Amino acid sequence: MIARRERSRTATRNVPRASDPEIMGRLGNGETGALGELYDRYQAPIRRFIARATSDAEDVDDLVHATFLAAAESAGRYDGRPSCRPWLIGIAAQLLRRRRQSFGRFLAVLASVRSIRATTVDPRPALHARSDVERALVQISDAKRIPFLMAEVEGLSCAEIATALNVPVGTVWTRLHAARRDLRRALEEGEDS
Amino acid sequence: MTAPSCPRLFEVEAMRDGRLTGAERATFERHVTGCAACSREVQTLEALAEPLRAEPEDGAIVDEFHVRRERTRLLAAFEQALVSSKRSPNARRHWLWVASVATIAAGLLILRHERPAAQPGHWPRAVVRADSRAVWSERTEGDRERIVLERGTLWIQVDHSSGEGRLVIALPDGELEDIGTIFTVSVEDGHTGRVAVKKGHVVLRMHDRPPVAIGPGDTWVPEAVSAFASAAPTAEPAPNGLHAPSVGSASALPSPAPAPTLVAPDPLVDFRAAMAALDVGDNRQAATAFASFLEKHPRAPRAEDAAYLRVIALQKSGDSDATKEAASDYLRRYPKGFRHSEVERLSP
Repeated sequence: MIARRERSRTATRNVPRASDPEIMGRLGNGETGALGELYDRYQAPIRRFIARATSDAEDVDDLVHATFLAAAESAGRYDGRPSCRPWLIGIAAQLLRRRRQSFGRFLAVLASVRSIRATTVDPRPALHARSDVERALVQISDAKRIPFLMAEVEGLSCAEIATALNVPVGTVWTRLHAARRDLRRALEEGEDS
Repeated sequence: MTAPSCPRLFEVEAMRDGRLTGAERATFERHVTGCAACSREVQTLEALAEPLRAEPEDGAIVDEFHVRRERTRLLAAFEQALVSSKRSPNARRHWLWVASVATIAAGLLILRHERPAAQPGHWPRAVVRADSRAVWSERTEGDRERIVLERGTLWIQVDHSSGEGRLVIALPDGELEDIGTIFTVSVEDGHTGRVAVKKGHVVLRMHDRPPVAIGPGDTWVPEAVSAFASAAPTAEPAPNGLHAPSVGSASALPSPAPAPTLVAPDPLVDFRAAMAALDVGDNRQAATAFASFLEKHPRAPRAEDAAYLRVIALQKSGDSDATKEAASDYLRRYPKGFRHSEVERLSP
């Protein structure tokens, strides 16, 4: 068993890893396999971002799917940036912002293949168990939590966040400040208790 | 009532969020290296999200079988949607909605791609006149234009509206940073002999001495480090001493420069001037400068910072009535401001 796993790793190393722009190029040509590669590469960070950002775990899987499907639709316009992770995060943030308005319509597309869907695994309990910061994070509002994650974890600039959330950049600054203040307060209270 | 340990502490967050750029950022970064409170705040903010940035094992979030099932569902949805979009107007509308999200995301990418790095040639433009004995040189270091003055007198006019970089004059026994517009500096026998400011502000940092902010109409001489002379600045050097008149632009003036024209009020310069006064502990002057800033630039990006720092400057000056009045003014201007809770404690 161990030997087989080792062989598998070796085989994987011998296959050149496609770059993100290459994958996006193939995806733009309608290659389903390219979407699979993109998903394999980024589903974990996208899922983690969405799970942390939303207070409703029910939607996590669907939001992850919606993010990748939106990426597939715009693959032809990808500008060749080496990593498309920030771009995917921007899409996910857009979907989070708009899900109350429009997500219901989009669910119809996913619902058509729901017959092969298995029970959703809620990733939040595992997340909550990981650190004090994550426990504190769930205590602050979505409006503060999402820009905080985009800035501090994903490294997006305030201007990028403002564009994704469709708010003035001053609002992003205010929300980031409030998020940090609330997090620090929650962490201090956690230490005191 | 808890006073912040450093009045510039709030700038740590401003720097982190990209609200400080160019010279402001460079100046504050230098401040952080010598300020324990700000340095601690930098580390605290960096550490706040550190556990979130660590990449966990995938299994810690969701099991591998679940990922595979979801992958299959995604690819099936993708293929089905592609097929449906060719024959169903409704499905096409679904994809139009997806496309709109993706277009905004593409905009994000473009925005990210075009974000400028440090741009060459983005320095403040300066006109320099030297007297006939002056020995000086100039060079560019990153976003900083550096003039080295070994001997003689320079008359310098800086237009900050053309860039955000810094202009620093290296002196044998210190350095002079321009945050204003028109000033004269003289060096004799290896020592700075005189700094006279006609308009704007400069900060003089002599070795082993605290920095000194010199404002319009003030003249600094070494015998009176702590007290400014009120004499007017010296006349500019004789025209026959005109030498390398332009810094930050390649053109040379063929004849003596005309009398300097005053530039329009620049919020950044005014803010720096107020900060310089606060830095050297002239809290009264700082409060006045911040009030003036608010009056002249009520809608500038740094207006809220100025309103907050005015409160801090007055608090440090010990004038409790003025502090309360300034705190009320801040709360009235910015009811949801960054520093609302801190300022509220200082209001009546």
